[in-house]
Amino acid sequence: MIRARRAILIVVVAVHAIVLAAPWLVPYDPAAQQRLLAFAPPSRVHAIDAQGRWHLRPFVCAIEPSTAIPFRYTEDCSRRYFVRWLVRRTTAAGFTTRESLRLFSVDEPGEMFLFGTDEFGRDVFSRVLVGARISLVMSISAVCLSLALGVVLGSLAGYMGGTVDAIVSGATELVLALPWLYLLLAARAAMPLSLTPTEAFVIIMALLGAIGWARPARLVRAVVASARANDYVTAARTAGASTPHVLRRHLLPQLPVVLVPLALQLVPQFILGETTLSLFGLGVPEPAPSWGTLLASAQRPQVLVEAWWLLAPVVGLVGICVMYYTLARTLRSGPLVSRL
Amino acid sequence: MRVLLERAIRAAVLLFGVSLLSFLLLEAAPGDFFDELRLNRQISPATIAALRAEYGLDAPLMTRYARWVTAALHGHFGYSLQYRVPVERLLWHRAGNTLLLTGVALALAWLLALGVGLATAVTNRRWPDRLAGGFAAALLALPDVLITLVLLSIAAHSGWLPAGGMSSLARAPGLTAAAVDLARHMTVPVIILVISIAPGLLQHVRHALAEAVPFPLALALTARGLPRRRVIVRHALRLAAAPLAALGGLSLGTLLSASLLVEALVGWPGLGALLLEAVSSRDEYVIVGATIVSTLFLVCGNAIGDAVLYVTDPRARTAQ
Amino acid sequence: MSVSTGASRTSVVRAGSVALCLVVCLGAPATQRRAEPAGPTHGGQIVVAERTPPSTFNPVLAADAQTHAVLDRLFADLVHINRQTLKTEPALASSWSVSTDGLEYTINLRPDLKFSDGHPCTADDVVFSFDVYLDESVHAPQRDLLLVGGKPIDVRKKDDKTIVVKMPEPYAVGERIFDTIAILPKHVLGEAFAKRALPRTWGVDAPPESIVGTGPFRLRENVPGQRIVLERNPYYWKRDRDGGTLPYLDRLVFVTVPSSDAEFLRFKAGEIDIVSQLTGDQLASLSSGSGYQTADAGPSLQYNFLFFNLNDVNAATLPALATRQRWFREEKFRHAVSAAIDRAAMVSIVYRGQGEPLWGPVTRGNATWYNRALPRPARSLERARALLKEAGFSWRDDGALKDQDGKPVEFSVLVQATSVPRKQMATIIENDLAQLGIGVTIVPLDSRAVVDRVQRTRDYDACILGLGGGDADPNVDMPVWLSSGDHHFWNPSAAKPATPWEAEIDSLMRQQISARTFADRKTLFDRVQALIAEHEPMIFLASPDILAAARAGLANFKPAILPHYTLWNVEELYWRQAPDR
Repeated sequence: MIRARRAILIVVVAVHAIVLAAPWLVPYDPAAQQRLLAFAPPSRVHAIDAQGRWHLRPFVCAIEPSTAIPFRYTEDCSRRYFVRWLVRRTTAAGFTTRESLRLFSVDEPGEMFLFGTDEFGRDVFSRVLVGARISLVMSISAVCLSLALGVVLGSLAGYMGGTVDAIVSGATELVLALPWLYLLLAARAAMPLSLTPTEAFVIIMALLGAIGWARPARLVRAVVASARANDYVTAARTAGASTPHVLRRHLLPQLPVVLVPLALQLVPQFILGETTLSLFGLGVPEPAPSWGTLLASAQRPQVLVEAWWLLAPVVGLVGICVMYYTLARTLRSGPLVSRL
Repeated sequence: MRVLLERAIRAAVLLFGVSLLSFLLLEAAPGDFFDELRLNRQISPATIAALRAEYGLDAPLMTRYARWVTAALHGHFGYSLQYRVPVERLLWHRAGNTLLLTGVALALAWLLALGVGLATAVTNRRWPDRLAGGFAAALLALPDVLITLVLLSIAAHSGWLPAGGMSSLARAPGLTAAAVDLARHMTVPVIILVISIAPGLLQHVRHALAEAVPFPLALALTARGLPRRRVIVRHALRLAAAPLAALGGLSLGTLLSASLLVEALVGWPGLGALLLEAVSSRDEYVIVGATIVSTLFLVCGNAIGDAVLYVTDPRARTAQ
Repeated sequence: MSVSTGASRTSVVRAGSVALCLVVCLGAPATQRRAEPAGPTHGGQIVVAERTPPSTFNPVLAADAQTHAVLDRLFADLVHINRQTLKTEPALASSWSVSTDGLEYTINLRPDLKFSDGHPCTADDVVFSFDVYLDESVHAPQRDLLLVGGKPIDVRKKDDKTIVVKMPEPYAVGERIFDTIAILPKHVLGEAFAKRALPRTWGVDAPPESIVGTGPFRLRENVPGQRIVLERNPYYWKRDRDGGTLPYLDRLVFVTVPSSDAEFLRFKAGEIDIVSQLTGDQLASLSSGSGYQTADAGPSLQYNFLFFNLNDVNAATLPALATRQRWFREEKFRHAVSAAIDRAAMVSIVYRGQGEPLWGPVTRGNATWYNRALPRPARSLERARALLKEAGFSWRDDGALKDQDGKPVEFSVLVQATSVPRKQMATIIENDLAQLGIGVTIVPLDSRAVVDRVQRTRDYDACILGLGGGDADPNVDMPVWLSSGDHHFWNPSAAKPATPWEAEIDSLMRQQISARTFADRKTLFDRVQALIAEHEPMIFLASPDILAAARAGLANFKPAILPHYTLWNVEELYWRQAPDR
C-alpha cells in the first residue's frame, strides 16, 4: 500500500514536471508549420535496419510525400536519422534561419513526428505537450476557484439556513438556469478585441470558475445541511462551540465526499469546455495550442480514419483522469484525508 | 404547506430574475437576428431596418422587457423571429421530445450508477471497485462529441440502428410499430447520454457509500451480525442520501445542458437542438422561452431532490 | 466539370487505427450497377439533408438558403437562370421580347398553366405576385432586387396570357431580375394580402395542402423539426425532351440534420441520397468507396478575402487604431501582405486541393466575367520585403518589422469563429506574415460580432470574410464596389469616395448597370477588377470548388455552382435503379 502510494505520487509529480517544462522539452516549436509535410503519420522509431542489424541508438527513416495521393507518405529507409539528445536544429524563419537547441530530436534534415502532424504540418507531439501545460493549469485553477466558491457559499447556506440559504440557493439556481452560451457572447463583447494567450488563459479560467461554482455549492449545501442535523453537531453547539469550530471540526471534514468526485469530473469537463468557448472567440487563439482547440479541430468522422493521431489529446486526457482518480483513491485510504 | 408556498414564491422570483437577466445578456451580446442579413448583398439596410421595426427590436430594452412580461403573464412568450410562430408552440413540442430522451437516459444512468456502486460496495473486493472507478474516470475524459461520432459511425456502418433523427420515413402503421421505431431511434442518443452522465454519478455514489459504510451506525449494524449487503442497501444508502438526493435534483434540473450538443449532432428534434440553433441565429424570444423552460426543469428537479431527501432521511424532516 | 464514380483507392491503415477503421470504413453500401434502361423511369423518392428546417413556406418572406432550398422546389419563376449555363431560359414565361429602348419587356405566359391545386395560373396571378413583392408593408427581402435606380418596376397585365413590365431606367441585368421571384396564387392569397395579413400567412404551421405553387413538387407533410415531405405536382408545366411529364420522382424529402458530420455519416449509411456541399476531406474519403457518384462542379462563386480597416476613424477615440491605419493606407504595405500570402497552401490545406487561389473577386467558375488579364503573381517573400523597404519599413535585429517611428508592426485579424476554412486561412496568414516579421493576432469572434465591428463600430484592424452565391452577374456586387455601399467592407457607406480610384470604380459600376451590350459591360467590369487588383483594398485568398455526391443509381445528377447546387434540376433526376435501403 505504502509502495503503491509512493509510486503514484512519483508518477503525478513527474507528469506535472514534464507538462510544466513542456516548451523546453519538445522537439519542435508548436507553431512551426511545415506545409509540405501536412498530415504525416507518426514517425516509426526503428531499432533494426533493413539489413536486420540492431542499432543501440534508435533512428527514423526519411519520409517522402506520395506524388499520386495528397497527404500520403512513404518511408525511405535508405536514409536514416538517429535520435540524439541535445540537438541543434535550424528552422527557416523568413529569410533567415533560426537555430535552436532541442532536448531530443533527430539528425538534420530528418524529421521525427512522434504523434504525426496536423493539417498545417505542425508537430502534434509538441502541440499536445505544450497544450497540456495551458489546459491543465487552466483547468486545475478553474476547478480550485469554482470549488472554493462552492464550498464557501454552499456551507454558508447549509449552515446558516434561513434567509442566507434562500439568497445563496436562489443565486445558484439563477447561475444554473441562465443561458450561459449567451453569457459568453456578452462577455466576449465586453473584452478588448485582441487577447494574448495569457489574457485568454486568465479569462477562460475566471469564466469557467464563475459558471462552475453552482454545482459544488448545491452539493456542499446539501451535505452541510444534513450533517448539521446530526446529534453530535447539535451537542457541540449546545456545548458552546463557536461556529468556526463547528464548521472546521464537524462539518468541513464531510465535504470530500462530494468534492473529490466533483473535482474528478470538473477537470476534464473544464478542459473540454474550452472547445465550446473557442466557438465564441473565447478560447486560446491560434497558433498557441491547447487541448480544447486541438480537439475542436480533431472531432470529425474523417479524422477517426485518416488522421487518427490527431486524437492524441483524448488519450492524454484519459491518462490524466485515471491518474487523478488513482491519486484520489490512494490518498483517501492514506493518512492525508483521515487527518482532515 | 408553508414550505410549498415559500418554494412557489422563490420559483416565481427566480423566473423573474432569469427572464430579466436573459434580456440583459441578449442586449449585451453584439448584433441581433437580422444582422445575418447584413452579409447578404441583395438586401438593403433600409429593408433590414424596417424588419427590425416590425418585430419591435428597435425599441429600448426595458420597453421590450415590459412588453414581454405583460404578454408572458397571459401565456404568450413572443414570436420566433426565425419561424414567425408563437414561441410557446415551438417549445412545448420540443420540450416533450427532450424530456423523453433525457428522462430515459437519466433513469438508466442512475440505475447503472447505483447498481454498479452498490454491487462493488457489497462485494467489498478491491479489484471490481477499482476497475469500475478507473473505467468511470476514463469515460469522464472522453468528449461527448467524440463518443457521438464513434457511435453514429458504428450505427451508420453496421446498419443495426438509424444514424440519427427521431422517426423513419417509411414504417409500418400502428402504435407498436411506432413505438419500436422510436425506441430504435432513441437507442444511440440514450447510450451517448448514459456514457456521458453515468461515470460522474458513479463517482459520487461510490464516494458517498465509501463514506457511509464506516459510519458508526453502519459499523454497529455490521457488528451486530447483519449481512453486509443489508447494511449497505438498507442503511448506508440512507446515510449517503443527502449528497445523492441533491445530485439527483441537479441532474434533473440540468437535463437540457446535458443533451444540448448530443441532440444537435444526432438530429433529435428537442429543446437542446432548438436552443443551439436559436443562439446561433439570435432568435431572442426562443432563447428566453427555452431558458424559462429549463428554469422550470431546475425548480422541479430541486423540489424532487428535496422530496427524496425528505422521504429517505428522517433527520431532514426534523431539520426544517 | 468532371464526374467520377467511386474510383477505388487503397488506404494505408496503421495498426492504431484498425479498431476505429473497422467501425468507420467498413460497410460502404455496395450497389450493383445494371445495364441502363432505355429511357428515364418515373417513381421513387430522394432524401436530402438540411441544417435547419425552412423558416416559412411563404416565398415572399424567404431570406435564407435553407428556406429557399425547399421553396424553390414548390414555386416557379417567369424566367429562370439555368444553374449550369448561367444563362436565362424560359420558365412560366414561354417567351419575352424587349423594346428597342430596353425599357419595356413583353412577357408571354405558357398556355394551360396550372397551380398545384389545379387552378389556372394567369397574368392576374403574375401581376398580383409582383404587387406583393413590391408592397412596402410586406418587407420582402427580394424587394430590393426589383428596384431599378431606387424605383420599382411596373408590371401590368395586357391580356390573360401577356404581361408588360416597364423598367424605370435602362437596366443591364435585364430579364435576370425575374429569377426566383415566385408566382403566387391570387385565389389563395388575395384575401390575406388585401387584409394586410400576408406576412402571417403560409407560416411553418400552415396546413400542407394550403401551400399552392407552380413548382415541380407540392407540400405533402411537415413534421416540425424532423422532415418536410414533398410530392410530385401533377400539374407541373415542364416536359422532358420527349414530351413526357416531369418530375420523374414521386417524392422529395428534406430531413433536418443539424451538423455536416452527421449528414455525411447518414449519407454513408444510405439514409440520405444526395450531399450538396462536401468538404475536400469528405470527398477524399468517399472516393475510396463504391456505391456513390461524386462530382466536382469546379470553382464556386465564393470569394474569400482579407481587408484592412480603411475607415475614417476618430483618432481621439481610437488612437492606437489610427496609428496602425497609417500602415494599412500604404498601398505598398497591402501589396507586401498580399505577396507574402501562400494562396497555394490555402487551397491544399483548407480545401484539400479542391479549390483555386484568387487574385480577384471573380473566380474561374464564372467564365463570363472572369478577367484573364489580371496579374496573378506567385508568392514571393523577396518582393514583399522589397515593397516594405520602399515604403520605409525596416527590421529590428530579432527580425521583427518596424515602421518609420520604430514601432513594431503588429495587428489583429477578425475571423468568424464558426467558419473553419477562414480560421485556417487566418492561421496560414499568421504564419506567412511572421516570416516578414509582422505580428498577427487571430481574433475569432461570433459572426454577428464580426459584422457589428466591420459595419457599425468600425473598431478592428483587419478581417477575413467571404462572399458568394446569388448570381453570376456583377450587379449583385454593387453594394461591395460602390463606395456608398454597406458591403464596401474596408470603408462601408462612405459619404463620398475616399480615393480617386474608388471614385473611378463608382462611375464604372454605374456605367455598366445601364450599358446596353454585354461587350461594353465586360470592358467596364474588367477595368473595375483591374483597379481593385492594383490598389488591393481587399486581398483575395481562395475559393472552394463545389463538391457533391449522390448514390450511384441517380441519373442526371449534375451539380452546378449556383444554389441550389444539386437540386436545381430536381425535376430531371431519376433512379436508374432504386437504391437498397
